[in-house]
Amino acid sequence: MYICLCLGVTTTTVQQAIDAGAHSTKQIAKACGAGSVCGRCKHTIRTMIVAASPDPPSSNPDRLRRRWGRT
Amino acid sequence: MSLVLAADYRVPDFDQWWAAIAGDLAKLPGLGVHIVVVYRSLQDASRVFVTIGVRERGPVDALLRSPIMFSWFDSAGVDEIPPIFVGQVVEKLNLDPDTLEARPAATGTRSPGAVIVGAIAPVGRLDRLLASIHAAVPRLAASGVRRFWIYRALDDQAEVMVLQEIATERQAEHWIRHPDAAASFMAEAGVGAYPPLFVGRLVQTIKLPVT
Repeated sequence: MYICLCLGVTTTTVQQAIDAGAHSTKQIAKACGAGSVCGRCKHTIRTMIVAASPDPPSSNPDRLRRRWGRT
Repeated sequence: MSLVLAADYRVPDFDQWWAAIAGDLAKLPGLGVHIVVVYRSLQDASRVFVTIGVRERGPVDALLRSPIMFSWFDSAGVDEIPPIFVGQVVEKLNLDPDTLEARPAATGTRSPGAVIVGAIAPVGRLDRLLASIHAAVPRLAASGVRRFWIYRALDDQAEVMVLQEIATERQAEHWIRHPDAAASFMAEAGVGAYPPLFVGRLVQTIKLPVT
């Protein structure tokens, strides 16, 4: 998917930056440019950073159930 | 070459956006857009899944950074631009519940009341996914799946968007809770930048004159 429309940066490129050690939106912007122009994709970049962290808040295995509004 | 763009996002005021959408639609043919399909979530009235068919005229990057694209989100009140899937159709299967076989999608029509389940996810090897889907056609049809449309991302050959049309909401719920092995990709939706599974209904298919 394309994350940064301004520069045409994809999830693959952002993930490569994260894998290389970037762990903030500023570092991602420096590494590949994503989020450095209008900044309206930073929330997605943050989501990717969190997902790649060693201990993400929740892998959310029950998300399908939640999507149907049931517990 | 024809491209499909897709995005899953929330519109703060759907009714207001929908009432004023004509102005946005009028701008899209300038980008080569010839069709827009809007789905609305069953669980979250502000969540939409929009697919846009584009007759490619130039680099994808130029298409995405077009002011028209940003205007599309601006006028919907969307501040945070969602990730956008850009790809091409790989296969469109319409499943016949009577014969439990696949038939060409061109003859298919959307069933009233049908539910759309949209997933964007990494699948590893696409050829294996396609083989497993073909092998599972009778089971898919018996489960209420009526359409199984697969698109491959331009920027990642292992990433797909799959739109599944399921006959009823009840069957869709069962399908999501107990997916066939051929639909194991659904478990990958919602991870990282990938949006969670979208479950909704068609709002409208809008065909546009290409300028």
